[in-house]
Amino acid sequence: MSNIIWTWVAAFFTLAILSFLYKDNPFYKFAEHVYVGSSAAFMVLYVWVFDAYPKLVMGFTEKVGVQRYLLVIPLILSLFILLRFVKPLSWLSVWSISFTVGMAAGLGITGLTQGFLVPQVQASILPLFVKGSTVGETILYTFNNLIIVFGTVFTILYFYFSREHKGVLGVSSKVGITILMITFGASFGYTIMARISLLIGRIYFLLHNWLRLV
Amino acid sequence: MTEFFKKLAGIDRRIIYLTVFLATAIPILTKKTMKIEPLPEVKKAYEYIESLPESSIVMVSIDYDAASMPELQPMLETFLHHAFRKNLKVIMLGHWALGLPLGQQALEDIAKKYNKIYGIDYVFLGYRPGVAAVIINMGKDIKSVFSSDYKYTPIDSLPIMRSVKNYKDIKLLFGLEAGAVGDAWIQYGYARYNLPIILGTTAVMTPDYYPYIQANQVISVIGGLRGAADYETLVEIPGQASIGMLAQSVIHLVIIAFIIIGNIGFLVLRRAKK
Amino acid sequence: MKKEIPLAITFISGFLLVLALFIPHKPFGNLEEIFNDWYIIVSGFTMLLGIDSLLEYNFKKIRRKEKDAPYSLVLILSFFITLIWGVTEIVRTPEHNPFSPTSTFSKYFYNSIFMPLQSTMFAILSFFIASAAYRAFRAKEFNSALLLVSAVIVMLGRIPLGQGAAPYVITVIFLVFAWYFYAESVGITETGTKLLYILVSVAFIALIYPIGWVYLKQHIPSFADWIMNVPQMAGKRGIMIGIALGGIAMSIRIILGIERTYMK
Repeated sequence: MSNIIWTWVAAFFTLAILSFLYKDNPFYKFAEHVYVGSSAAFMVLYVWVFDAYPKLVMGFTEKVGVQRYLLVIPLILSLFILLRFVKPLSWLSVWSISFTVGMAAGLGITGLTQGFLVPQVQASILPLFVKGSTVGETILYTFNNLIIVFGTVFTILYFYFSREHKGVLGVSSKVGITILMITFGASFGYTIMARISLLIGRIYFLLHNWLRLV
Repeated sequence: MTEFFKKLAGIDRRIIYLTVFLATAIPILTKKTMKIEPLPEVKKAYEYIESLPESSIVMVSIDYDAASMPELQPMLETFLHHAFRKNLKVIMLGHWALGLPLGQQALEDIAKKYNKIYGIDYVFLGYRPGVAAVIINMGKDIKSVFSSDYKYTPIDSLPIMRSVKNYKDIKLLFGLEAGAVGDAWIQYGYARYNLPIILGTTAVMTPDYYPYIQANQVISVIGGLRGAADYETLVEIPGQASIGMLAQSVIHLVIIAFIIIGNIGFLVLRRAKK
Repeated sequence: MKKEIPLAITFISGFLLVLALFIPHKPFGNLEEIFNDWYIIVSGFTMLLGIDSLLEYNFKKIRRKEKDAPYSLVLILSFFITLIWGVTEIVRTPEHNPFSPTSTFSKYFYNSIFMPLQSTMFAILSFFIASAAYRAFRAKEFNSALLLVSAVIVMLGRIPLGQGAAPYVITVIFLVFAWYFYAESVGITETGTKLLYILVSVAFIALIYPIGWVYLKQHIPSFADWIMNVPQMAGKRGIMIGIALGGIAMSIRIILGIERTYMK
């Protein structure tokens, strides 16, 4: 019985959000505000359950020696963040934010260079002529490699705005934008696929779990 | 003809919405599934998982939430069926806090079907904020990040975790990605520790991962509802993704029709103005 | 002091991580692990920023009895009900975790209220994208036409019905292009250009059968694969290399203290 009630509750909220398609109405506004309020409370619960309790509380009880005393530093930094809500002391929260921003910047440099830039540039260095087992394969693989190498370079050149796009740079940029249009078209196709999949999921819930028609 | 296209251009948007709704609902009501030829990327992912020896330890990362559930939940469920059928051991964690209950629920439900025991055959570690920092530190020592599981049991007391120190003991990371965490797994997990990665991504994110596929930084990517349906076909467990493919096909054709009609109208009206 | 200490913290934390990449041994490797651990703890608390302004804003709306004040009350009530329910489950359940599958919070609140709300919020985007496809997606020039064609081919190539539908879709598209070029040629007086437009129009009609009914009927899935693996991949890589260079530059600026907007 309780399963049926909760299924109807889920269906109510689903239809409340879908009602926005007809026009903005109190049911939609109600559902929207419930979503925002509960999301905020979720964050508070998550911080305690998965961060503060296991890393700080359990850390203080289980760790020994220097490892335990070192936990005082993140504890202080975390409390400084909460001081943002106290106007006279909110300047202390900048210390914690500076730490997180500095860490993010450091992680960003290492990840982007080692994990993306070098391997991707390496993968773009391809032979401009590939001999396949047939003439057709030779033409296809060579053509593919030419598009990958020059397509990547010309796309990057399109975004170089420090010089006017004239002459060789102008021609490269035009080829670059052509490649970009194909890229955006493919992304658009996949975006439609994604959004429709989400709708399929909700309609399946309404037809299968709620109305039991499927 | 010009008047007809003028009327068509000004059509109430709610008629478009109703058309989309019916084009999605009616195929689902027919309950038909479609025969599909799996994409090469999905076949590659399937074959890699098939090649893993029994008792290999795999890690699953829940990096999505309810907004991406229709695409990624079927992928997760199929992977868990695949893994448990092959007697692989599963460690699950997540970087998106709001999606964790979805992952954990699927893990518990499917593990029960294969009589798997918590702590021996699978474990749910939970979530830690920090993404990149979590991935880097787990590469050195998983215990430094997750000293306990989701119910605060010390992981040393769990048999499955006794043979796992870091990524060297993990044969595969299966990441379910709705955002940028997949990039972090590749840029830190693969780049620093050579962690083998297969990603299941939403269709929106899938085009972004093709550069990584070509550079061999990931084994493969299973993209969108189509990827999920392909994976279900290969594992021979029809699920929600396979049911959704007919609706997906119909609505794609409807949207292509909208694009064509819209452009015909545009060209007619442009010529009429000239 | 108020400026110097945060800048020093940013520099030390950022620079250490870069140094630890090149010198992973003691003490830098250990320090990196410790700093990462602190980052895991502190970044969790940053999720709480914004909650106070959300609650404060809605409390103000209620105090001032504004038009949407009842909805602000709904927001605040749902915040506190969720929080209290979650805290109750933390105390009540043996796992002390409200998100475990056995807790009522997860079984009822998450599955029946939160999850439908979140997934439906994003599902309605599909309606808007269909409306945009009809009203706004126009092939005004060559590049936008190329974007459209690429989108249509990928959309057809990724669905099981694609091979069956592709010939019809290509027939309609090519007929539209043929009609467009012929109609444009009517208004052209210069013989050479007029002839060119008519030739293009005839070419589109001639290509309907070989491209639509012979090639794409068989090969649209592999053609979509080719688009994704070759030109799309090249364009994406170019964009992402640009983003990576920009990200690295910004990170260096932050570490060196040139970029200070985060301190406000």
